[in-house]
Amino acid sequence: MGPAVAGYLTFAVVLFGGWELVGRLALVDADLLPPLAEVSTLLWRFLQDPRFLADLGVTASEVAVAFLIAAPLAISTGFLLGERVHLAEAFNPVVHFVLAIPQSIFLPVFILAFGIGFLEKVLFGITHAYFVIVVNSFAAVRSIPPPLVSAARVFGATRTQVYTRIYLPAMLPLILTGLRLGMIFCIIGVLLAEMYASRRGIGRLIFTWGEGYQIPELLAGIVLVSVLTIAVNETMRFAELRVGRFYARASAT
Amino acid sequence: MPIIEVSQLGKDFSAGRALVRALADVSFAVEEGRFVTLVGPSGCGKSTLLQILAGLIAATSGEARIDGERICAPLPNKIGMVFQDPTLLPWKTALANVEFPLDLRGVDRAARRKRCSALLELVGLSEFADHYPHELSGGMRQRVAIARGLAQDPRLILMDEPFAALDEQTRTRMGHDLLEIWERTGKTVFFITHSLTEAIYLSDVVLVMSPRPGRIIDTIAIDFPRPRELDIIGSEAFGRIRNRIWHRIAQAQA
Repeated sequence: MGPAVAGYLTFAVVLFGGWELVGRLALVDADLLPPLAEVSTLLWRFLQDPRFLADLGVTASEVAVAFLIAAPLAISTGFLLGERVHLAEAFNPVVHFVLAIPQSIFLPVFILAFGIGFLEKVLFGITHAYFVIVVNSFAAVRSIPPPLVSAARVFGATRTQVYTRIYLPAMLPLILTGLRLGMIFCIIGVLLAEMYASRRGIGRLIFTWGEGYQIPELLAGIVLVSVLTIAVNETMRFAELRVGRFYARASAT
Repeated sequence: MPIIEVSQLGKDFSAGRALVRALADVSFAVEEGRFVTLVGPSGCGKSTLLQILAGLIAATSGEARIDGERICAPLPNKIGMVFQDPTLLPWKTALANVEFPLDLRGVDRAARRKRCSALLELVGLSEFADHYPHELSGGMRQRVAIARGLAQDPRLILMDEPFAALDEQTRTRMGHDLLEIWERTGKTVFFITHSLTEAIYLSDVVLVMSPRPGRIIDTIAIDFPRPRELDIIGSEAFGRIRNRIWHRIAQAQA
């Protein structure tokens, strides 16, 4: 953890120090790159502004609803494909085709089909998260060493016990990886949909500020979204690492 | 009554369109309390036979009985098993792995802990109870697996080439220690290996299996006194038995 912390700190110092330095030395026009202090003050004010928080809340609830629908659906799909070889042979290529297409090009279709609003954002978030979680859950099922299942059966495990005592813990690390990537994709999908066409949400605000040349607001928005998504990602990665530590050399057992 | 009775057991696999005969007309019996080893060349169907005895796969013909009961599903109360891979659960400690069979049966924690700590001691791993499998050596993992095989106090232990993945010195040591555990617990052991030396050194009776389709082509009683010393491996009598098995397998192959 030591070197990683040093890495984070160095990154933060270089980024924010460089930003402040550029401002102070007037290397770049202050209209283009307002000083860090100004952006931070603005951000602080935003965080106390109910209207801003409401927009943030809209985005967060779109992401949350999309993720909560996508995750169980995708995990069950991946599980089914992993357990049923014939289904996997038929549908895995389809999943990989879909993953290869940049899903953003379907946004206009989503708007035509579902209008502009909460439903469209959520659905777009779901399609973004779904496939990457499917792929990881499928890999998770396939990662279970068959001898572990045989051993459990010899020791009297019922079918349910095989699933709860062997499958679930064995699949957990890859499922968590899938969920984390799914969450990132989900946020990308929702923000994209908001920036493209929306009345509410942080994505919409950021887009409007950019169009209106409101650089301090734009930067404050970018910093906030970055910090929030990093926090979400790191929390999920922490869980992943905690679970994963037993599996460091699991293949050797 | 013998604890294992196998009569005219056959097993066919379909590999694509072809039918592969893994076992043909296998018959033998194992008396309670004995250490019996089935030896044969790689791919002769030894593991298939063991999987049938363990209740993991069904025979195509004939039947196998454990303690008089016809096998059609795993019999965890009667059979403990040690696999070629230790098959320990990586997310459980050594002790929790030994407890796993009892845990599945809902035995309460205190009783489980007491019994399984004693088993870990029997295999010489008391100090490693809280270690995870990836923190143990290959030999230690296999010891944990042996302790786990004994957890439900079964009368019969099936062992599927348990030491095949270990280096020779560890393997010899493990064999020696296994004999000690066997003598102290009085279980029946049915052991599989392709090592003739291991088979003769460990066993009361060696069953010799032919190359595929597997049949029992010889049954040899091994009379070396117990407890056995490793020195017997170099003796003339040991060599004669070795040669006899070797020739039987070679003949069957020709």
